Parts: sequence; structure tokens; C-alpha cells
Amino acid sequence: MSRPRLLLAHLLIAGVVGGSLYDIVTRQEHWPFSNYPMFSDVHRSSVLRWPRLYGVTAEGDEVPLLSYRELWPLDQSRLPIGLRALYTEAGADQRVRTALRDVLRRYESRRPSGAHSGRPLVAVRLYLVSWPIEPFAANLNRPNDRRLLADATLDE
Amino acid sequence: MTRVLKSIARRWTTFWFEPATPTNLAVSRIVVYGPLAIFYLLHDFSAWGDVSSALYQPIWLFRTLHLPVFSTSVLVVMQAIWKLSLFMAAIGFLTTASCLTSAVLGLYLLGLPHNFGQIYHFDAAIVFTFGVLALSRCGDALSVDARRRTSRHDSATVPLASGEYTWPIRLVWVTLSLVFFAAGVAKLWTSGFEWIASDHMALLLRRVQYHISDADPLTNWGSHIAEHPLLTRGLAATTLLVETAYPLALFRTPLRPVIVLAGIGLIVGIRLLMGPTFEHFLLLNAVWVPWDRVGARLRARVRRRHAAKFDDAACQDGSSSRRKAIHV
Repeated sequence: MSRPRLLLAHLLIAGVVGGSLYDIVTRQEHWPFSNYPMFSDVHRSSVLRWPRLYGVTAEGDEVPLLSYRELWPLDQSRLPIGLRALYTEAGADQRVRTALRDVLRRYESRRPSGAHSGRPLVAVRLYLVSWPIEPFAANLNRPNDRRLLADATLDE
Repeated sequence: MTRVLKSIARRWTTFWFEPATPTNLAVSRIVVYGPLAIFYLLHDFSAWGDVSSALYQPIWLFRTLHLPVFSTSVLVVMQAIWKLSLFMAAIGFLTTASCLTSAVLGLYLLGLPHNFGQIYHFDAAIVFTFGVLALSRCGDALSVDARRRTSRHDSATVPLASGEYTWPIRLVWVTLSLVFFAAGVAKLWTSGFEWIASDHMALLLRRVQYHISDADPLTNWGSHIAEHPLLTRGLAATTLLVETAYPLALFRTPLRPVIVLAGIGLIVGIRLLMGPTFEHFLLLNAVWVPWDRVGARLRARVRRRHAAKFDDAACQDGSSSRRKAIHV
């Protein structure tokens, strides 16, 4: 191997290993470097609290929005977690509503083309939903508490 | 002291730059880029250009480099070039340029979704692999480029064994080891032994049934397993053991295949029981396979089969001519 190529290889090795070790030791994330913290926190509570988006039909029915096609390009994990980061911020109410309206707009604009098979919606509502954790999520459709966090309609 | 340092330097050089033929690197290139080109063919990144800036929470990379979220039309062009570069890298056509394009555009396109809400961890190792392969000589064999070079020089010039074909593979090994090791350390650091000894795993396996992962688990077996505390604690202990011990796979011991297969099992288990999608991360395990030895064994087997057929044919010819002789 030539000297410049040897140097290049060593620089790359140092970058990948050094960056990764830095994130591991400092417990930070600098994507694509990461300390891979997923699932590392111990869950102690037997109650699951999760922000969930519901669509509201013209008849007033509320349907949970879960499928990737309905939330595309977001999903049932990325969207609620992103919204949670917003609504826990002070004074971010308007930003949350804008984000919700954006989700609704995309949902409705993709529906006529058959991109998803969801019902027509007139509004979306973000709830903080609580379930006592049961095997097989048997109570999925019967949460014991729902607290409205924000809502949005298309014509706001 | 100098003897120790010399020994370390020798081991370092052997690990990273032990001369090898280009086969393993070339096959790894094909096995990584080929399936990923197919996987991402129908994946549309352009929609991210349409997501409201209200949800934009830039990650370090985008913030530091001031990378913008391009419009949908720009993203359409970018992803078309990227997908083409993946195919070109797989077949080894203009390999260096293709790999560099797939690394640079891949860093942007794969990083883009992480700016909206949550950082997922299934593609970081892929980004590193693209970067490593882009700076490697992975197109020296089993590629259109190699074929063109050979025909141009009108002779079958086989690249000599070199450390150039070793360090990229070893760096992907180290990357994979760091991923698993980091995940194990994070669990130990954050939760300690409680991660195994508590009901955490049982709760986790039940929680994911409530549609909270980026994708739902492929089965509801997690809820069955959660009924048995010994099983869930065993699962947690195994997870932690595989993750923290994974770097041992870097050493040439009989443990290597066991650890690598256990890592694959862990990824498959996560998808089955918990949901998160690490499928294309699995592809990177192709770099652990000694493709040159696999090829040599296959060739030997084919040769043996051919030889056996030839012997059979020769025997049949011999016996029929013997029969003819008796008849005469």
C-alpha cells in the first residue's frame, strides 16, 4: 500500500472508532455516530402513556391514525415523539397545531389517489393516551384516560 | 517496553492490513449494494421536502453543516442519482465515482428523516459502510471496471493480494462491533443489572403491542414470552451478553461465527418481538463471510462432481466395451 493510502485508511479508522467511542463515553448522539440508547431505560410503570393522533370524520367519529401510509413519510413512532418534543416546549402550541395541520393536509391530499384507505377527515386531534399495560394490548381500544393536547382543522 | 510496542504495532498491522485477495471485498460490495439498491428502489425520500418546518428538529450533522431540507423536486433528482449510483456500485461500473456518490448522497438522504422527530438507528452503520467502500478499492475484482481493464490490456491481470482489500472489511467489522457494544454499554450504564433482574423486558414486550414502534412487531409472541419471568430475564441477559461481547468477534477465535450469528438472531428477534426495522442492517453481516474460502469450497465441490461424472462415464464405457469383447 502506498503511504498516502495508508494514511487515508488510518484517518478513516480513527474517525469511525474515535467518533463512536466519543458518543459512547459521553452518552450523546451525533448521527451517524450514536451511543445506541434505544430500550436502555428500565420501564417500571405498568401504565403506558403515549401521544396518539386521532382523525375526526365529518360524522364526529375519532379514528386513531397509525398506518405508515396514512402518516407517510412520518410514522406511528416518529410523529408522536416529534410532537411530544414540541408540546413539552413552552409556547409551542402554534407550532404543534401547524404540524398537525400539515399531517392532515397530506393525509387528505393523498387519499383521493388511493395512497391510503383511510376515511375522509375534517380534523385531527392529539391526545395523551394512558393504558394499564395488558397482555396482547387487549385494552388497546379502551384506554383508561385521554387528555386532549392539541387539534387542527384544514380551514384554520 | 519497545518489544511490547512492536508486538502491538505488528498485531495492528496484521489486523488491518494483512494482504488479501480482492475477492472478499468485491463480493461484500455486491452483497451490500445490490440488495440495498433493490430495497431503496421504491423508497421515496422526496416527501420529506413537503413536511412542515414546524416538525423540523435538526440533528447535529444538518445543524453543523447547515444542510437545508431541499424541495420535493430537488429530492426527486437527488434520490434518482443516488439509486442509480447504488446499482452502478453493485455491478462495479465506474466504481469509485459510484461509491462516492452513494456515500455522499446517502449521508444526506438517509439522514434527512432523522431531522423530523426521532433518530432511528438502523441505517447509521450503512452510512459508514458506504463511506468505507467509497474510499476502498472494492471495484478491483468482480466488476464491470475490472472486466473492461482486462479486455483493454488483453490479458487476465489478477490484482495481487494487498492490505488494500483487508482494512475496509475490518473497518466494517469494527463498526458493527461498536454498534452492538454501544447498545450493551448504554443499557448497563443507564439501568445496570436492573435491566435483567426487573420486569422491564416483560413490560417492554407488552408495550410494543400498542403500536408505538416505527413498525409493529411481526408477531405477538412477545406477549406470550412476557408471561414467563424466567424467560424474559433470560432474554434480557442474552441480549446484554451478545451486545457487550460482540467485539470478541473481531478476534480470530472459534467464537466468531457464534457471536455473529447471535447478533443476527438478536436483530431478527427485535423485528419479530418488538418491531424496529433493522432488516438492511442485516446485510452488512455479509462482510463477515470469507467469500474466497466459500468460493474455493464450491469450486472444489463442482470439480469433484465433474470428476465423479467423468469416472462414471469412463466406467460405463469400459464395461460396455468389456461386454462387447466377451460377446465377440
